[in-house]
Amino acid sequence: MNPDDIKYHREHAWIRVEGKNATIGITDFAQQQLGDIVYVDIPEAETEVDADSELCEIESTKATSPVISPVSGSVLEVNEDLEDSPEIINEDPYGNGWLVVIAMSDPAEVNDLMNRDEYEKFLKEEEER
Amino acid sequence: MPTRLTIIGSGPGGYVAAIRAAQRGARVTVVEEAEVGGTCLNWGCIPTKTLIASTDALELARSVADYGVELSGDISYNLQKIRDRRDKVVGTQIKGIRALFKSWGVDLVPGRGSLISEEVVRSVRKDGTTQDIRSDRIIIATGSRPADIPGLPFDGNSILSSNDAVLMQEVPPSILIIGAGVIGCEFAFLYRSLGSSVTVVEMLPRALSAEDEDISALIEKELKKAKIKLITGARIESMKRTTDGVTALLSNGQEVRTAKVLVSIGRALNTEGLRLGDAGLAAGKRGEVPVNDRMETVVPGIYAIGDVTGIMMLAHVASRQGIVAAENALGGDVRMDYAAVPAGIFTRPEIGSVGLREHQAREKGIKITTGTFPYRALGKAHAMGEIAGVVKIIADAGTDKVLGVHICGAHASDIVHEGALAITMGATAKQLGAMIHAHPTLAEGIMEAAEAVHRNAIHLPREGK
Repeated sequence: MNPDDIKYHREHAWIRVEGKNATIGITDFAQQQLGDIVYVDIPEAETEVDADSELCEIESTKATSPVISPVSGSVLEVNEDLEDSPEIINEDPYGNGWLVVIAMSDPAEVNDLMNRDEYEKFLKEEEER
Repeated sequence: MPTRLTIIGSGPGGYVAAIRAAQRGARVTVVEEAEVGGTCLNWGCIPTKTLIASTDALELARSVADYGVELSGDISYNLQKIRDRRDKVVGTQIKGIRALFKSWGVDLVPGRGSLISEEVVRSVRKDGTTQDIRSDRIIIATGSRPADIPGLPFDGNSILSSNDAVLMQEVPPSILIIGAGVIGCEFAFLYRSLGSSVTVVEMLPRALSAEDEDISALIEKELKKAKIKLITGARIESMKRTTDGVTALLSNGQEVRTAKVLVSIGRALNTEGLRLGDAGLAAGKRGEVPVNDRMETVVPGIYAIGDVTGIMMLAHVASRQGIVAAENALGGDVRMDYAAVPAGIFTRPEIGSVGLREHQAREKGIKITTGTFPYRALGKAHAMGEIAGVVKIIADAGTDKVLGVHICGAHASDIVHEGALAITMGATAKQLGAMIHAHPTLAEGIMEAAEAVHRNAIHLPREGK
């Protein structure tokens, strides 16, 4: 079930906004597509990232895929548990499987993102394409 | 009367040349100051691969649960037993070479060889006694040794050479490895498996800079996964010994404190003390003995092979050069061809590469097409639990001929030889992709990568999808 208190990006990342900071992860759809995740090339704190560009790379038994950042900013905090247990992303993509917390440089970018209903409609359209 | 051939050095160049020359009827003498087998057998290829086999076993033991196997008790190792196994393996190989020498009637003269004239080799023993060996032909095969950083000589205690590291007297809690080349990267994984905290510093922008960029990228990620810290684009500014180790200051301002330092920045050529001038020879800028593609020096009858020629520092290249020199010294006409020289790097996972790299194609202005295929798309890789890896094939954009094959992944150093054969025979990527490969094998990755050159790999999704 996709939560409705977060925003979604078309490259299948989600963000939860708290003031100027945003927690970022990948969606349930993304983790299902990837399959068993074996490694996350998690960025270091203070890494600068642009909206719509690569935040980090996730490796699964099926593929190596970039995670595209929904917003611009600087990495404040990283989920260190992923280093030893990347499978948490498969188990709990919207909770313990979060990737990073970013200090947003342009919070207005959030307005361009989808809410839950829009994302689910988008997924359906993608599937039918 | 048979030709009298004297070879200085019995490494993988010298001993192979000796046997081939004996097979061709020469009266062969080999002068060797240490043990037969040279760096390869005593300090390089064989002992390091033996140590790595021990850490491979250790890593497998650590991951048996992934295979549904249950082990009880702690997984640990006994360094003395690991060293004993290494010594046993090396000892067996040494006996093998000595037995071959005996079988082919090759004389082994202990001592340090030097040139007295164009036709006399002098062997000086440790006790100072000398023996002059009159020779119709001479092959210089003196090899190389670990190079140190000026002002920071090896001390065998806190600043180690690769020779010291091979001895593996202890596993330090932490180690700084200077140079992310073949030796540096192999030892990084080795020390890490044994429990050291490892930092590797490389002056160039990437690890294994002689390899294809895609291979460097993959191994850099694997270093990271193994929790080995790699710092590229940085030099050592200064280094000082402390009570509990060494503190190094890097050119990027970082300070690295470790118990030990391994310097693996390259190798120096063994021409000092060889008295090249007495035979009318002169060393080149790097100390190398210049040769042509028949392995002849400028002095007729004197040949040089292996590391000391400064051409390619690979045991198997030295062996081939040894065969070429021996044949030519005894009336043959054989030339060296370096177009398809495969090489293995025993990192985790290992690397096998042959032929042109993509950056070399760019530098030379050769138009190429490439195909890559990940190990994780191979059923066999999944079955083995070895999904990290990639096969990359470089083909000529016009003729489709295979110019390079680069593999990082399990058993890469073995399966790369198919690529060497393809290059040698002038096969095209289409031919390689059309050749039936047994299923399930890792070699299927070569077929798929060859197909990927033409965007026809069966087990890859359509691009952009």
